[in-house]
Amino acid sequence: MFETTKIILTENSRSLFSKIKDSPILYLIFTGTILFSVFVFAYAFFFFVKIGINLDITIEDVFFTVFFLFLLKSAADVYNNFVKSSALSYPLSTQVNQKKTVAEIFIGILLIELIIWFSFSLLFLLSLLVFKINIYYPFEYTYFTLGVISAVCLGSALSLFFFSPKRYRLIPVLIFLGFCFQSRQPIFVIFTLPLAIIHVSWSIKNSMDSHLFSKRKERIKDKSNIKIRNTIKAFFHRETTVLYRDKLLFSFIFTSISTGLFSGYLFVNGEEILIPETIRNQIGGFLPSMFMFLGIYVVVMYTGVFPALNLFLNEEKTMWILRHIPIRNENIIFGKASSLSLCFLTAVPFISYITIFTGLDKIVFLIFFLIFSYIAGIIISLPLGVKYVGKKSDIMLLYSVSMILFVFLGVVSVVVNIIESTFTYPIVLYILILLLEIIVLFVSIKISSQILSLKYNSIR
Amino acid sequence: MSKNKLFNFKAYVRLEMISVNNVTKTYGKIIALKNVNFKFDNSQVIAIMGENGAGKTTLLKLCTGILPFDSGEITVDGYNIINDSIKAREQIGYLPEMPYMYERLTGREFLFYIASLRKINDAEEKINEITKMIGIHDFLDYEIGSYSKGMKQKISVTSAIMHNPKNLLLDEPVYGLDPLTSRAIQDFIRNKKGSTIIATHSSQLVEQIADIVYVIMRGRVIHSSGVSNLTSKYGSIEDAYFHIKDETNV
Repeated sequence: MFETTKIILTENSRSLFSKIKDSPILYLIFTGTILFSVFVFAYAFFFFVKIGINLDITIEDVFFTVFFLFLLKSAADVYNNFVKSSALSYPLSTQVNQKKTVAEIFIGILLIELIIWFSFSLLFLLSLLVFKINIYYPFEYTYFTLGVISAVCLGSALSLFFFSPKRYRLIPVLIFLGFCFQSRQPIFVIFTLPLAIIHVSWSIKNSMDSHLFSKRKERIKDKSNIKIRNTIKAFFHRETTVLYRDKLLFSFIFTSISTGLFSGYLFVNGEEILIPETIRNQIGGFLPSMFMFLGIYVVVMYTGVFPALNLFLNEEKTMWILRHIPIRNENIIFGKASSLSLCFLTAVPFISYITIFTGLDKIVFLIFFLIFSYIAGIIISLPLGVKYVGKKSDIMLLYSVSMILFVFLGVVSVVVNIIESTFTYPIVLYILILLLEIIVLFVSIKISSQILSLKYNSIR
Repeated sequence: MSKNKLFNFKAYVRLEMISVNNVTKTYGKIIALKNVNFKFDNSQVIAIMGENGAGKTTLLKLCTGILPFDSGEITVDGYNIINDSIKAREQIGYLPEMPYMYERLTGREFLFYIASLRKINDAEEKINEITKMIGIHDFLDYEIGSYSKGMKQKISVTSAIMHNPKNLLLDEPVYGLDPLTSRAIQDFIRNKKGSTIIATHSSQLVEQIADIVYVIMRGRVIHSSGVSNLTSKYGSIEDAYFHIKDETNV
């Protein structure tokens, strides 16, 4: 009974411990950033409670954020543990009912998500306890937990239907999810939990279409574009082809536009929406700059840092290709990094859309800060990506890098604000800073190529 | 003699194409290879046999510069695989045990990508010739992710041989291939100039194409001799392998 569940749990825990053993420093940084984040959230909560600010961020907003995160996590876990798991061919070929095996995988994933939920939520509550804030909210905690279960059910169903030849089965799940988000009521999600369970049961019943699902896609049209290129162009073409085919480029553009619009809107109306009138005069002036900063940060993370890290994180099993080909490491890094220039172009719409709200007064600052942040993201990500080749799904690495960049850019944004207010022609200083940053970028490429070389290489 | 040729002088005078001197490789506490010595000569087909986990695949990965090693020296055509890795790798064609490739590229795109990196000018001609020979040409415009294991193996074989390397390192070259393709690859290896090293469990393949057999057990070379000697002494390579294994106490 529950053999497959046990295997899934064992494999995941062993994999975690083996990663910790392989990269102790990375995991130390990650643990530090997690504790730091939880503590900062708890402190912010304490701060707002203490000074009596009633922010318009409600418990419903937090509930749906948690719901959305677990929806994505469970969809990704079902994809990794079932859809593309060739090892599952063994249990699926035994006399055990295949649906039972898939249900056991789902239970395994549900348990993993619940362990994550309880760990993080309890850590947060303990942090609140440090600040002597009342944490006795059993009803709220229960419905958050039920919300996580509902998210896991729907996320799993989404994943199973998306990676199948019958994608139209997604429609009922999407309609249901639409109702959940539209209602803005956690209680709606809780009372419809049986419906979420019916959805996941239905997806498990039809799950065998999804196992090792792959479309046999012919690309005759692209044939004319295949030719011999120089090394850098060959790397550029390969990287951008994959980004294009995985529809990531479109996703980058969409994110840039939507973040531009959203941050622009908050730049103009954020104070009114989020800050009570009583204290608007005291802290309000700080907010517009913060929304611009956050907008740029989100765009840079999504369109720059993630693809920069993935240049090498994705090369786990294909590393033999790069290693056995007679090319200098600098050329490999430079060729791969050149594809980020296209990713940068997808971040440019952010400027166009945010300026609809901010006007052209801030455009020099915006352009400078976007370019600066983008290059800074690459400088940090490239060597780390090379160092941790193959840790594709390592959310911890992504989180650590995002926190490092957040702190760094936060400091830089303060410095840039001082420059803006002190210098008459800050553009000259901006250009000098960017030139200096480009030099640092080349140093980062050089360091990355050293890390990639066999002399300094650990077992791959 | 031009300056370039003087620079490559050692490449003309050497006897061994691939030389492995006292190489030790460990994975944590596990010793994969210990003080291994090989000298692979020109125009020879060398087979490396041994049980699972003996160190065959590791040895090939070390010779291609895919893995670092703890001590010793490996040279390919006189070039050190660590210090002159670019020159050394120019002379190598490598087929891995598991042909993982970029799944979102088509077979044709992948081969042109490798050809671009290897700077093969007549790539189209070469790719067409080889893919027709091994029967994958009609599927070149499908994404690799949709290929079967055998089809991936064929693309990987093409990428290993299309630049006509002096040294070919093949890990289980005919595994997963249909008999027709398997025979075509064997013919190619037989007629090829330069050295070919094959890591395999197939005694039949060894009998058909290899000149010399090395037997590895637990990271050590326990036997090496000519295939014809072994077959005349023991009847077949399979019997010879069992005799060698029984006689050796590793």
